[in-house]
Amino acid sequence: MAIKTILMVEDDRFIGEMYVRSLKKSGYTVDWMVDGNDGLIAARNKTYDLILLDVMLPERRGSDILEALRGGTEDLIPHSKVIILTNFEQDDESRMAMEKKADGYLIKAEITPSKLLSVIAQFDQPA
Amino acid sequence: MAVNKQQKFAKDFWPYVYRVVATVIITSQLIVLLVIAVILYLFGFYETNLVAFAAILLAEAVLGTVSSVAIYKLVAQPMKDMLAAVIHVSGEPTATTPPNPNDARYEQTGFKDVLQTIYGLASSDSDKHTTILSSATDAPAPITAPVPAVKLAATMLENALNETNCGFVVMNHQRNITFANKAAPLSVDTNGVTSLSLIFNGRETLDAWLEECDKNAVHAEHTWSRIADKLPEEDNRRFFDVIASYDKGAESEVVLSLIDRTHLYEVSEQELDFIAFAAHELRGPITVIRGYLDVLEDELKDVLKDDQIELFHRLTVSANRLSGYINNILNTSRYDRRHLKMHLAETTVNEVYDTIKDDMKLRASAQNRLLAINIPSDLPTIAGDTASLSEVFGNLIDNAIKYSNEGGSIIVSAAQKGDMVEIYVEDHGIGMPTSVIGNLFQKFYRSHRSRETVAGTGIGLYISKAIVESHGGNISVRSEDGRGSTFTVSLPTYTSVADKLKAGDNSNEGLIEHGEGWIKNHSMYRG
Repeated sequence: MAIKTILMVEDDRFIGEMYVRSLKKSGYTVDWMVDGNDGLIAARNKTYDLILLDVMLPERRGSDILEALRGGTEDLIPHSKVIILTNFEQDDESRMAMEKKADGYLIKAEITPSKLLSVIAQFDQPA
Repeated sequence: MAVNKQQKFAKDFWPYVYRVVATVIITSQLIVLLVIAVILYLFGFYETNLVAFAAILLAEAVLGTVSSVAIYKLVAQPMKDMLAAVIHVSGEPTATTPPNPNDARYEQTGFKDVLQTIYGLASSDSDKHTTILSSATDAPAPITAPVPAVKLAATMLENALNETNCGFVVMNHQRNITFANKAAPLSVDTNGVTSLSLIFNGRETLDAWLEECDKNAVHAEHTWSRIADKLPEEDNRRFFDVIASYDKGAESEVVLSLIDRTHLYEVSEQELDFIAFAAHELRGPITVIRGYLDVLEDELKDVLKDDQIELFHRLTVSANRLSGYINNILNTSRYDRRHLKMHLAETTVNEVYDTIKDDMKLRASAQNRLLAINIPSDLPTIAGDTASLSEVFGNLIDNAIKYSNEGGSIIVSAAQKGDMVEIYVEDHGIGMPTSVIGNLFQKFYRSHRSRETVAGTGIGLYISKAIVESHGGNISVRSEDGRGSTFTVSLPTYTSVADKLKAGDNSNEGLIEHGEGWIKNHSMYRG
């Protein structure tokens, strides 16, 4: 599945703009939501190939969004990949729970936009 | 013991014996040779059969010498061992290890009893000086009625020991605590068993040291600094410098003196807690700085001039180093809280290095060092946590850059050694004296010299060691002052630990067992 459309949920303006800019330049279509509620609504209204999800968000936390989308009996976003993108230090269980439901878990401080691009490129050509 | 004015040691006796024996052997052989030569000459061998004459003399010279030396060795060995035992008992400074009574050789010949007698004599001798203490500890002991004066002194001493805020603990051969004063950090478990409550760092624990002593020491002493009695979150946490004395076979085989250094160490602990908190806050801005540098460099690559690109590289290198230091601080704080968890998975040294390859290349070139990577591609896979290991390699290479000179070369190589894969980081920089090496992996340790000349926090090697040991591996260093250093990281191959990993769920603390390098208890997520 080639990734074309991306939903980014990120409340930090600097970090959000940074990723959006680099992703757009690489040819992806990116929608950017700043708070958790808008993020969840966007994910329900449109099918994205990839969702980049922060954890610490206003209104609704990333973990709650993921729970709402994939926590029930039915996967509401079967055609989307989800990458958690956070600097927040979570305890074991919460992280484990999120990792189970997501397709990737990255620490923002440890990656750069170009590394994120290469991670996304890996989804494009599954091993 | 006769003490002379001219400091003499029992160990000086052996070289004397050795000289006398050598002289006697040589002289006696010469005399025998001479006598035989005369006899043979008188019988006319010299004139009629010169070859036989020479052969007989040569044979006698060789056989005579060899047999003399062999007999000497056989006869002198027990005496030599006894002397070695006496030397150790007397407490003279010496580099030799004392003969171990439990050696199979000694048990066979019965020499074991001789050695035990010597050691026994020595410990009963030293016990004379400590009777006061031991009778205090064995209060209900049915020994002959103690002299009242001694008893009084014992109570007084015990009271005095309870007044101090230094801990004193005495253990017997079974490692049961026979005496402990008030200040000693103790814990009592549900079965009512009292034990020491000390949290040692990594593998250098008291138990490990005592085990080592049981095997090959008679008298020994060891010091640990900065040992806490509780985990960071707990109340009334104290820090000690622990001095342990070991005296094989003595009633008080192990004596621990714990010097309370809380006031000294607590400050830096608090600082570290604060820094860990601050470091976490720094992650946001550092993400932005590294990210925008990445974006900008990419977008500007066609318009930037070469020297401007170099400036960008310096920015990137500095941001990456900053990010590395922040990770060191965060990991150290996790490790000290027993919260550092490794996610071990099958990987290769090359794969780990690939994640930091570009960064390291840039760092070396920005600081004018030659970085040569020579990691064979056919190495066996290892069980590693890629992110943590890359931090270890980053720390070692960063150090190699820091402690070498402009234009110096740094070589990273790797090889298989049995069940381990060894990674070497070699520099040809300033090196360090042996006296520094022992403390190198301690938290906050900076050598006197580098404290003044090179920036650093003193936790890079500490956390690197912790990470490597959490992998069941080892980190060590060889260095020559002025010539450079080589750090060696050895990690178990994946196949050698695959069973243990599969038994756990790849992130469970159960999989990391103690002994043979596996460390338990360090369990938490990075990130």
